[in-house]
Amino acid sequence: MTTLIDKRNIAETQRPAPGKKRGVSLRHYNFLGGLAGWLWLIVVLLPIYWIVITSFKLQSDYYATNPLVPPSNPTLENYRFVLENDFVRYFMNSVIVTVGAVGPAVLVSFMAAYAIVRGSAASRFLRGVNGLFLMGLAIPLQAVIIPIYLIIIKLQMYDTLGAIILPSLAFAIPLSVLVLGNFVRDVPKELFESMRMDGATEWGTLWRLAFPLTRPALVTVTIYQGLTVWNGFILPLILTQTPEQRTLPLALWSFQGQYSINIPAVLASVVLTTLPILTLYVIGRRQLLSGLTAGFSK
Amino acid sequence: MTIAPPVVHTAPPAASSGGRSGSVTWMAWPALVTFVAFGVVPLIGVLLLSFTSWNRLSTDIPFTGLDSWRTVLSDPGLPHALWVTFLIMALSWLFQTPISLLLGVFIAAHKRYRSVLAVLFFIPLLLSQAAISITYKALLDPNFGLGAGLGFEFLQQDWLGNSTLALCVVVFVVSWQFIPFHTLIYQGGIRQIPASMYEAAQIDGAGRVRQFFSITLPQLKYTVITSSTLMVVGSLTFFDLIWVLTAGGPGDATRALAVDMYQRGFKADLMGPASAIAVILVLVGLALALGLRRLGGRDASSSQLEGV
Amino acid sequence: MSLSAGAAAGAALAACGSSGPSESTTGTGSGAEASYWFLSGPPGEPIRQGAVDRFNKANSGGQIKVTTFQNDAYKDKLKTALGAGQAPSIIWGWGGGGLKSYVDNNQVDDLTDWFAQNAAVKDRLFPASFGPATINGKIYAMPCETVQPIVMFYNKEVFEKNSLTPPETWGQVMELVPKLNAAGVAPFSLGGQSRWTNMMWLEFLFDRIGGPEVFQAVFDGEANAWNNPASIQGLTKIQELIKANGFVKGFSSITADSNADQALLYRGKAAMMLHGSWSYGIISAEGGNFIKDGKLGYLNFPTVEGGTGDPSNTVGNAGQFLSIYSKASDAQKETAKNFFKSLLDDTEQQGWIETGGVPIVKGSDAKLATSPDKDFLNFIYQVSSNAKYFGQSWDQALSPTAAETLLDNIAKLFQLQISPQQFADSMNQVIGK
Repeated sequence: MTTLIDKRNIAETQRPAPGKKRGVSLRHYNFLGGLAGWLWLIVVLLPIYWIVITSFKLQSDYYATNPLVPPSNPTLENYRFVLENDFVRYFMNSVIVTVGAVGPAVLVSFMAAYAIVRGSAASRFLRGVNGLFLMGLAIPLQAVIIPIYLIIIKLQMYDTLGAIILPSLAFAIPLSVLVLGNFVRDVPKELFESMRMDGATEWGTLWRLAFPLTRPALVTVTIYQGLTVWNGFILPLILTQTPEQRTLPLALWSFQGQYSINIPAVLASVVLTTLPILTLYVIGRRQLLSGLTAGFSK
Repeated sequence: MTIAPPVVHTAPPAASSGGRSGSVTWMAWPALVTFVAFGVVPLIGVLLLSFTSWNRLSTDIPFTGLDSWRTVLSDPGLPHALWVTFLIMALSWLFQTPISLLLGVFIAAHKRYRSVLAVLFFIPLLLSQAAISITYKALLDPNFGLGAGLGFEFLQQDWLGNSTLALCVVVFVVSWQFIPFHTLIYQGGIRQIPASMYEAAQIDGAGRVRQFFSITLPQLKYTVITSSTLMVVGSLTFFDLIWVLTAGGPGDATRALAVDMYQRGFKADLMGPASAIAVILVLVGLALALGLRRLGGRDASSSQLEGV
Repeated sequence: MSLSAGAAAGAALAACGSSGPSESTTGTGSGAEASYWFLSGPPGEPIRQGAVDRFNKANSGGQIKVTTFQNDAYKDKLKTALGAGQAPSIIWGWGGGGLKSYVDNNQVDDLTDWFAQNAAVKDRLFPASFGPATINGKIYAMPCETVQPIVMFYNKEVFEKNSLTPPETWGQVMELVPKLNAAGVAPFSLGGQSRWTNMMWLEFLFDRIGGPEVFQAVFDGEANAWNNPASIQGLTKIQELIKANGFVKGFSSITADSNADQALLYRGKAAMMLHGSWSYGIISAEGGNFIKDGKLGYLNFPTVEGGTGDPSNTVGNAGQFLSIYSKASDAQKETAKNFFKSLLDDTEQQGWIETGGVPIVKGSDAKLATSPDKDFLNFIYQVSSNAKYFGQSWDQALSPTAAETLLDNIAKLFQLQISPQQFADSMNQVIGK
């Protein structure tokens, strides 16, 4: 983790290749790659296609028809069934948990990233904090789930949405601080200097200078952490019990446990839980993909 | 737990002239307190709990020294769980790396239709592991699944009921989800390779395959290490997927470390031994990350944990 | 995961609307108001609720405050609440090893003296129902609700179509297997991923071959108890059945929670199924006209040639159990005991019968005649009351730790990963733990 090595690597690998020809020049068609690409497309899309068409089949038709042929009389029955099984509640729980964890996580991470970038030079404490967050990246959530469970029951928060929110929030912090710190660092020093000249406080500088300049990074971090929390399974599994507190992935699991022979209904529930993410993906695809790629080169 | 965190370089903050630390330090506190409470304290806690025999029915947590460790280390379940974890790790690396590399090369070219493909490839990464596992479970059900419906004998294997097949299914499903992510990493790496190198090779008359082996692959060394670190260390933490797909079964055929920990702790109420397994999980993860980092001679560790 | 899970899954069947806690308050409450947690979902929930409502109406003093949970949530929730010191005054459970772990942690009260003073409460119930409530010779729980033995269900249609007769001996079972396979029907349905489903087979085989003493020795902590020849023979027989393709293809990836095993039976994909009496309710709710059309048959488990166990013996849930939380206040405990006295009145008995259950009250068969399901109910009453020995399911009898090892080894045994002797060896190591 030394600066030197890191800088060299950044110089070595991250700088775009000069000239108009960026990347690999592919004069001939890459047959092997092409084959792999199209085959993989089938591998990816076939299960998805199957999920979608099957979710519109009647359970009785499901056994009688070819599984890969779309239903001749599509039905919304399965969706109605899933929605009647408290889907809306689970959806709202997931929204509450995701917003409740990611919003504060990004906010406090942004503040911490700002503090670390601005204050580390003069503060051993902030350098220590930075080191702690780096170390934090290496803690897998699964490995500390038992003490988290213990803490949650001691706080008498077991089986509440708060029990999911707090650890999710905490585990979103290290990576967010790191990514946001890298972006705050890119803000030219002169701008900070001129803010200071104008008599702005650090708090004011954070919001009026750093915030607008790092907005793309904030969006990316929010999307990424949002996805992680939205899809989280082990925290709800261990820290909640009652259906009232279930989030979507856990509800999905319980639902398939209860109705696994009703495959069309199970798949309708998969579609419903995935739809919000896919919608966001369609809207924010560019942001997410380029954000993730940017995460690499940062 | 869907996407691995982006690889980030961990340079300490550049010296900044403007900050008077006193006025900014407080801004780090909220993040610090939250993270210490639910990240650092549990990490210490799991170590402490591994020296107790807490059974979660009782309000007190008796300290029992090395008992849990003795139980765990003498239990044949541990080497088995380590072996299963290793198999999943190695097989999913072997399966994912060549495909990701090939796909990475393919979509790295600036062609419009290939970016469209990349967008589609990415979809599995967005889904929760619970959703993916449930889908595959339904798809592979020997009596009610795809095979039974299509009537192909080949597809009607006892996919999740046969030990070897179940492990292969886990590896495949893992790969199905994570290949797009690693493809993206390779795509990024490939686009950084200077085109001039290929031009020089072409002048020398090197063919496409030779170019790949003499330029692309060596240039991607660090990318391979980054991607491998993410795969290897990330595979230690597969829980959602295995739990929903096979619950560690059939028998204990897919009971990897994380699943073993869950079963001991939350099914058999043995929190002490389960904590010992968790500590082992952390240590193995650290050892692997550091080992791979040494192999690459550079810092690939900051991003080691897929699914943190 | 346990036998009880299945029982309750049966009880919670057809729970189309998810029914969770009706009250979110936890903890022990205040004053003389006793808290009581139980399983939600039809058919059990309204009957349990009804008993509470009648009690609360009849008593102006201490009242009962109810919180309900779904089956899968309940066990974990309760364990967690006990660990946090916030359990309800009245703890609903399955007795046996689970109850023993509460006893070992001083979480529940000893009721032996109370039962001695209130002999009438005790004497009207099936004596067998006190087995799982008794730990180290003391009674820690009040038996309640219904008896649920494990029986052999079969699909009459499949047997008629292939001109076969249901088996009465193990030899006949083994003869039927190739015939049914040849006819393209799986001989037995099994939700093997749930593991306790496999265990029921061993419980019967051990009993039929060597009598209840075989498992009793394990329960009593005798060294190497699993090496008993009857035990090895039972383990060998089950592997023979597996090798002969006696169970449906892919059984080890089928879960019982989903009732996929039941579906295989009523869809005619499997000819027989060994399962709890609660299956009747599941099949009648989910199996369309299967029961109405008279296609469901049932038998006690076949005898094993040369076995010394009494063929009338059965295993299963001898009842459900209510314990009193040791940390509840004296007033709450008093309320709870008064509530116990009010249980299984005529209205409640009638309620259970209407759901296809047999209440654990002596002479309740007199009430069965009016039920549309009287054939099945009489069968269950006969099986339960005629049983010389009503075995408790093993995972309930053992501690959670030993039960987990047991279920684990059973899964491996059914996968043919380990031999009968290896099974016995690894189980011997956890005897008494």
